[in-house]
Amino acid sequence: MKLEKLVKLDRRIIFLTMAAAIIFPLVFPFELPMTMQKTTRGLWQVIEGADPTKQGVILSCDYGPQTEAENQPMAVAVIRHCFARRVPVLLASMYVETTPLSNRALEEVAAEFNARATTNADSLIYGRDYVNLGWVPPPIVPMLQMGSSISGVYRVDWDGRDTSTLPLLQRVKNYSDVAIVVSISGGSLPMSYVAIVQPRFGIKVGAGVTAVMAPDFYPYFETGQFSGMLAGMKGAAEYEDAIAEKYGLKETRRAMAGMGAQSAAHLLIMAFVILGNIGYFLTRRKP
Amino acid sequence: MHISTDPWTWIGVILTLCILSFLYRDNRFYRFAEHLALGLANAWTLAFTFHRVLMPYLIQPVGAAFKSLAADGPSWSLLSPNSNANFLALLPAFIGCLYFMRFVPARAWLVRIPIGIFMGYYTGVSIPAQFDGVVFPQLKGTIVTPASFEGSMTQGIWAVLVLIGVLGTLTYFFFSREHKGPLKWAAKTGIIYIMIGFGASFGFTVMARISLAIGRFYFLLRDWLGIIS
Repeated sequence: MKLEKLVKLDRRIIFLTMAAAIIFPLVFPFELPMTMQKTTRGLWQVIEGADPTKQGVILSCDYGPQTEAENQPMAVAVIRHCFARRVPVLLASMYVETTPLSNRALEEVAAEFNARATTNADSLIYGRDYVNLGWVPPPIVPMLQMGSSISGVYRVDWDGRDTSTLPLLQRVKNYSDVAIVVSISGGSLPMSYVAIVQPRFGIKVGAGVTAVMAPDFYPYFETGQFSGMLAGMKGAAEYEDAIAEKYGLKETRRAMAGMGAQSAAHLLIMAFVILGNIGYFLTRRKP
Repeated sequence: MHISTDPWTWIGVILTLCILSFLYRDNRFYRFAEHLALGLANAWTLAFTFHRVLMPYLIQPVGAAFKSLAADGPSWSLLSPNSNANFLALLPAFIGCLYFMRFVPARAWLVRIPIGIFMGYYTGVSIPAQFDGVVFPQLKGTIVTPASFEGSMTQGIWAVLVLIGVLGTLTYFFFSREHKGPLKWAAKTGIIYIMIGFGASFGFTVMARISLAIGRFYFLLRDWLGIIS
């Protein structure tokens, strides 16, 4: 039986087929219908409800280059949503390797908005509308200290500027001036916000997590500890889609672009799993 | 098609291809890229720690304190943690330096001091946090009450299913008694939930790994080859 060969199929053939399944939909994109999950909607609603004159959003980017493909579109989407509503963004990184990645996301979205701006009020100005707080180790220190003074724990920003002179940090002083902390992470750091920060300061916490981590975090969304959650590239794509629909912001949507490839790859894996199982059972039947 | 002329993109492409070459088999290009990534990550962390942590939190305040001491003489403000010029930063720096006593066998016991402080601090913060932030809210979320059905009947049914799953799974891991009778059926229910959980985790893992592959191919096709607009 030829199908029996499936169990001995060279893995390199599988890799090549997978590469083809990913490349083809990227080069010839097609849009699939997208419905927003309640986890994504939860985060969307909190940022929609934030008061731009009084509140800011802390975006805690806690991922490395290894999960950049999943986490970076989330960071870009959340920043874009905040800027569309003129909600100030305070970017922080709990891991040192994230700092250049998250800074790139912030600068990229600010440049998008500034390209369309015609007046000073329209423009997004560093220190007034957004700030990159940089990195202070270990994570537990800034997480707790931001409850009393953000500029107290982040004395200098990403560029080494004195944070006490930045107008945004004179307005958004601590967690009481923050609508939500969104932890975009490749690991379990959002849990630290839920366990350590939330009970003490009563702040809302949102998460943007890789698909691998998502099953671990669903129980915390169900209990309301996470106000919202972006689960994997799909969560980021849903968020990008919602922003494009409501605010007409259709700039680079990396997660949306990857959804066709994701679906094609999933179908291929399902086919391999089914064929592999058929091959396995046929092998078992033989004496 | 518009191939990039940016040298940084080319470096990224070469290293990406070096890493992907492992899919064919282990080779020197892969090992080179792997070692380079490790070295760069360490160097980046060291340099960033010096400029963004040691400088603003230790070297600058202590340096300013010495200058102030030389210019204005001793003052209590030099011991204030809120002052930009203070000697207090030397205390945690000294305790941190005790980690290096590991290299002096006769005084290696001193390393226990920073380790003890570190462990004590984290234990003090983590134990109440685990109860307040994880155990109690999750326990509360598992208890089914009439309020669970107030939103909608479906929501109530899900709450009951979660409760059955929690009890079944806990029974499966209860080894003090042989799984017979009701215990057997509860444990069997538990293993079904566990298997569904594994299946969901595997599905999410596949999705995550595919996402990472998409990210790299997106970079190659868009940033390097310019095939995707």
